[in-house]
Amino acid sequence: MREETRKFDTELAVIGSGIAGCAASIFALNRQIDCAQVGNTGAVAYTTGYLDLLGAIEESSAAVAKPWEGLAQLKNLHPDHPLSRIPVTDIRKGFDQFATFLGECGITYTAPRESNITALTPAGTLKKTLCVPATMAAGPEAFADKTPCVIIDFKGLKGFSAREVVANLQDQWPTLLAARIIFPDMDKGEIYPEVMARALEVPATRTRLAELLREAAGEVKVIGLPAVLGMHRPDHVRAELEQLTGLTIFEIPTMPPSVPGIRLREMFEQVFPEKGITLIPQQKVTALSFDTDGALLCLSDNYGPITIQAKAVILATGRFLSGGLEAHITGISESLLDLPVSQPPSRTDWYRDGYTDRRGHPIHKAGIDIDTSYRPLGKNGKPYNEHLFAAGIILAHQDWIRGRSGAGIAIATAYKAVEAAEKFLLAQHA
Amino acid sequence: MSDTIRPAINFKEKALELLPEGASFESCLTCGLCSSGCPASGIENMDPRKFIRMAMLGMDKELSTTPWVWCCTLCKRCQHVCPMNIDISQLVFFARSNWPQEEKPSGIVRSCQLIRSTDSTSAMGLPPEDFVFVVQDVLEEVRVTQPAFKNLQAPMDKKGAFFFVNQNSREPMNEPDEMVPLWKIFDLVGADWTYSSKGWAAENFCMFSGDEEAWYEVIKKRVEAVKALGCKVWLNTECGHSYYTMWNALHRFGMEADFKLESLITYYARWIREGKLPVNSKWNRHNITFTVQDPCMIVRKAYGESIAEDMRFVVKSLVGEENFIDMQPNRSANYCCGGGGGFLQAGMTEHRRTYGKRKFDQIATTGAAYVLTPCHNCHSQMEDIGHFYGGNYGVVHFWTLICLSLGILGENERTYLGPDLLALID
Repeated sequence: MREETRKFDTELAVIGSGIAGCAASIFALNRQIDCAQVGNTGAVAYTTGYLDLLGAIEESSAAVAKPWEGLAQLKNLHPDHPLSRIPVTDIRKGFDQFATFLGECGITYTAPRESNITALTPAGTLKKTLCVPATMAAGPEAFADKTPCVIIDFKGLKGFSAREVVANLQDQWPTLLAARIIFPDMDKGEIYPEVMARALEVPATRTRLAELLREAAGEVKVIGLPAVLGMHRPDHVRAELEQLTGLTIFEIPTMPPSVPGIRLREMFEQVFPEKGITLIPQQKVTALSFDTDGALLCLSDNYGPITIQAKAVILATGRFLSGGLEAHITGISESLLDLPVSQPPSRTDWYRDGYTDRRGHPIHKAGIDIDTSYRPLGKNGKPYNEHLFAAGIILAHQDWIRGRSGAGIAIATAYKAVEAAEKFLLAQHA
Repeated sequence: MSDTIRPAINFKEKALELLPEGASFESCLTCGLCSSGCPASGIENMDPRKFIRMAMLGMDKELSTTPWVWCCTLCKRCQHVCPMNIDISQLVFFARSNWPQEEKPSGIVRSCQLIRSTDSTSAMGLPPEDFVFVVQDVLEEVRVTQPAFKNLQAPMDKKGAFFFVNQNSREPMNEPDEMVPLWKIFDLVGADWTYSSKGWAAENFCMFSGDEEAWYEVIKKRVEAVKALGCKVWLNTECGHSYYTMWNALHRFGMEADFKLESLITYYARWIREGKLPVNSKWNRHNITFTVQDPCMIVRKAYGESIAEDMRFVVKSLVGEENFIDMQPNRSANYCCGGGGGFLQAGMTEHRRTYGKRKFDQIATTGAAYVLTPCHNCHSQMEDIGHFYGGNYGVVHFWTLICLSLGILGENERTYLGPDLLALID
């Protein structure tokens, strides 16, 4: 059969479809840079939906209440941390642009403030974060005010227990109650948040659920639900349920696979092509090479081979889960270009003896090094290629999970990498 | 040697074979994105995650006998959302192939047998001479009853034609007038096309039955038919799985084919862009709303986003952008309707409708009056779940709406139009 390679030309190619890759595409759009994005299903679908900037600094056992001030402390203690290398004004710009874009595309977020929000987790614990989806905003407010509230869960839904949330929070929130109801038409077997969320896009399901929620709330005026309030129009679904019930309603993130992550991924996949980005989702770049004019990305989708010719490339391939880094017996490698990886000296140094050691594990700071223009360094310590930039958690010297700083690193470094790529592209055109 | 009877398939071994390069089950978080996004989850107490975990645990006997493999439509949405890109549908295919022929759903097996019974490769067993007769008969009637088309052509076995056009058997067998809008479109754009008396049929249930040898034989016959006429393009009409069975088989079986496989949707979009199909939405005076169903077989499993975009371009051109409402999710992330994979023919009506509830909800959410889809299985399933769950939407072919827009839809070609659309025809 005749099979033709599909060829695309672009100014900027983004490799990776996690928060960093998607943020890079957003910033490229805002700068009117012609852009193509490619990357297989990343960990976006696992996100809580919270956008963390900085929630913890490893030397301190206390959570970071004021993240912007915390960044100064981080810079003193860890000058090589990616966030320590970025002016605060740029981090703010990045967050503002990212949250604004999400809002314009139908998933409203709270604006970044000076203080972190104390947000709820599905286990009934608390975490610090900078921005939360509007559907979740009333939860932290109710917690702060200790407003009487009922957490409601659903028969057959695993990974979210109202009783567990209440048990863990009752000391701090004595007016919190738990209730369990049966989701309309889902009275048998295991049910999934994704399925519930999609069912709530149907007006008739909302009407039926509203009745059940009113009954479960009793005299209480605020209720918390697992994050199932619609997939495509969550703000609308929540507003209508509030109207139907007369209650204040908020969502709490659930265990993966969680709705807030799927919301983001599906939104990006729809909106990016509409806005002119060449998006090739769910596929990994299999080869990346450079010549004097730029880069050539090779990949295949179900239909056949694809090449993308780009003048600049941003590598945002993540760490182990997304395949940006690979762990071998002999050490950790970068999967696409075999870039040097900053890593513990040997495999025996990857982990400390205690799993819960407060200092964390050295492997979680492994990653690639970049120069001041966000170009990854090659084996000779110089930029690997002038057309190549990098962003996101593939960067070394940060433990984003312990630092509660995943979105912060992704968004801020994407902002800087796009800025650097634009500068390079403009110089090329000049 | 043990006397224990073991199933023919070692699912774990197969699963490991099917993993993409660099992936491993150690990296699988058992996160459940696959199951969460699968309309077949819960049917027969099975779901994709459970299937893969049972394979890893060596539960070959259970996997070899679960009827769930006939409820999975092989739509590959599980793979699409899996961060590890694990192809569970391939395992299900192997499981199907392992079922004794006499225990497989008889509807699927029978359809495959019928496909192999004639040179037509028709799942309804329509032999070549009957197909030729029906086409000629309908053509003559149109020439007589529709003066504007007194010279309409429906070439048969025309050597050297550019397009080799296939046809789902449902049209010549059950609703022959539904072929006419397509002929009119070809006539209007001046397409150089032909039907073939051999290998003309679109459907291929041999793939769904898990019978690789039969699948290969059917495709071989079709490839030979295209070669015999020397056509440049095998044009797949509005039928989803026919494209996938052909395209996938050419790769899978390493077959030689010196022609291109194309979808009619691509050409609709091209002809509209080139002005050859001068459609517009002025006819839609009452702002009747439409949505579109992405057939898994040509979108997620084959062409991807490009054909999904073409489909939307065509629909918007036909009904007006303001009257188009996209389903959520859509394009490659769309859900299978539940009519694929042979499910419609498998005789498992209750399960099929349970599966289809998610599609029904998607359609209901749009509030659209009609669903357009270029796939016969999608068409039948969406009609059925619409009736079953009390929906009030209609399902239409693209060719119907194109001819409606052009004012050339004959009286016998309006089967799928509701009163609202019929009222707009002058």
